[in-house]
Amino acid sequence: MSGKIHISVMGLPSSGKTTFLAALWHMVREVGANTVLSFDVLSQGNYEHLNVLAKRWRSGTIQQRTQVSGAKAVTMRLKDADDHKVEVSFPDLPGEDFSRMWERRELDKGMLETLTASSLVLMINGDTIKLPAWLVEWNMLQSKMRIAPSKNDAVEWSADLAPTQVRIVDLLQMLMSGELNIGRRRLAILISAWDKVEGDGLTPAEILESKLPLLNQYLRSGRDPWSWKVWGLSAQGGVYEDPDKGESFAETDRLRDLERPSDRIKVVDGGALCSDLTKPLKWLID
Amino acid sequence: MANHELNCTNAECKIESDGKCVEGYEVEDCPHVGGLSLDDIPETEEQAAPAPLPELTIALASGEALSRVNTSILQRRNISKSIGLIGPNDSGKTSLISGVYDLLQGGPVSGAAFAGSSTLIGFEKVCHLARVVSRGVAPHTERTSRGADATFFHLDIYQESVGITSVFISDRSGEDYLAVTDQISLADQFYEIRRADCITLLVNGSQLADPKMRHEVKAATPHIVDALIEAKAIRKGCRLAVVLTKKDSVVVSQDPDRVQRDFVELVESIIRAHAAYLGDVKQFIVAASPQDCKHVSRGEGVADLLLYWLNLTVSATASVDDVSPDFERMIDLLTDVRSEE
Repeated sequence: MSGKIHISVMGLPSSGKTTFLAALWHMVREVGANTVLSFDVLSQGNYEHLNVLAKRWRSGTIQQRTQVSGAKAVTMRLKDADDHKVEVSFPDLPGEDFSRMWERRELDKGMLETLTASSLVLMINGDTIKLPAWLVEWNMLQSKMRIAPSKNDAVEWSADLAPTQVRIVDLLQMLMSGELNIGRRRLAILISAWDKVEGDGLTPAEILESKLPLLNQYLRSGRDPWSWKVWGLSAQGGVYEDPDKGESFAETDRLRDLERPSDRIKVVDGGALCSDLTKPLKWLID
Repeated sequence: MANHELNCTNAECKIESDGKCVEGYEVEDCPHVGGLSLDDIPETEEQAAPAPLPELTIALASGEALSRVNTSILQRRNISKSIGLIGPNDSGKTSLISGVYDLLQGGPVSGAAFAGSSTLIGFEKVCHLARVVSRGVAPHTERTSRGADATFFHLDIYQESVGITSVFISDRSGEDYLAVTDQISLADQFYEIRRADCITLLVNGSQLADPKMRHEVKAATPHIVDALIEAKAIRKGCRLAVVLTKKDSVVVSQDPDRVQRDFVELVESIIRAHAAYLGDVKQFIVAASPQDCKHVSRGEGVADLLLYWLNLTVSATASVDDVSPDFERMIDLLTDVRSEE
């Protein structure tokens, strides 16, 4: 492990990409943090963006939406326990760029470098997975519950109505075809907002199988050469406040009360729980 | 009017210098005087063609149902199976296509797992009206346009013992197939049938259950097969799946037993006429996108058909002498329905 490693963080809008970067930057710089990858040195780059994100994260404030187009380059110099150094760059891309690939079937040329990275983090918000639902079963359910079917205006088809798993499968297929195809690559799937889904008592792999079965089948089939692994991730540990809405939650206060902000983080690997957010990155660059 | 603006086509006229017409006309009346000469018209400067703007975006694959050419390209990638879907209007072709895809949304189907698709947008479009997000009242699917070229829906299916198989399901208007019974030369255009590994003939269960329409269905459906074989559009040795669709309508019809007998007779007549030509004939009953799932489940029977497309042994029987297990269940269901009423 050495040299420059380029890791791209992907995900649909509101999948937790920016929160992940904020928590990561705080964690690797936190004094006394025990992580498999740790902070090495600052380079000549501009850290303002990362510092702003980490500051907001520490204060228990939700991240503002990433600008709607273009990437903000984010670079971290990290090292492992054997002092092998690595420079990891994460372009902070807005989720709208990924949505556009599915909906408008086009890709901004500026994203080429990002999307041809050999290591990818795919964020999926576990709390907002849109599952397909069928009218015939819905009608049956309403009938059993003695609910009269509501008369709505029919909705025309549009790409944004597609289930989450279909959009993600297509995104991954795109990354394995045409100009984006660079052959075998590593993919760390992080199911974010884990604090919202952990109540189901399922492992991340089981969540993938039950809530994203099409994606699970696609990955397991091995048709496209992904080396992949799935984790659960709560980069906040709970609900954060939106100051624009004047929010104030007891849960956020409890998170602030933790002695070390990085203790808010939950990383779930199978049945194991830890707070080391760098573990998926270590797996990606090993 | 300033003289310099005047010009005369008569070379002897000096109107531009002396203001007088050599032929004595008033200036306004002279037919030879014009306002401008060619010399007055400035030469247009040749402008260099604007440099094309650099392309800022990369076009990605459309995700729509595939053309014949794009299908051929994809067919070279894996072992592939082409399914020629034939059925009169409203026999449930689009429902069957969307039904196969929608079953895979929930997980592997009888050991057949989704491994990818180049036509996810196409699938999503045909599934839309059966989904809750459409805010429809009852599920239905769009009809395929008459006269349009056949297109193909693509699914890569993974099976542990086989690996990846690419399945291409053709979609063409039912009216086009029906027209071949009037003029068999029309079959020349059915390239999707000529290249098919398995022809899948749909029989509208709702119409077969309708006393006014059953005889027409029984007569017209085999005629399509007759015409396509006569025209050599169906390859010799090709496998044929005969599928009774809309099982949900059949089980609640007045006489499901009669529908069963009619369907068996229909399949039997095809086997009798073409057993030597066709490689294999099997019958299936499906409820791909039912209107009601009180007596059938969504996608019922579709898994068996998918496995047949993939060329595996399935429970549905090929023999017309036996009553298939599906029909036995249908009778049981009928009993259930009656006892509830």
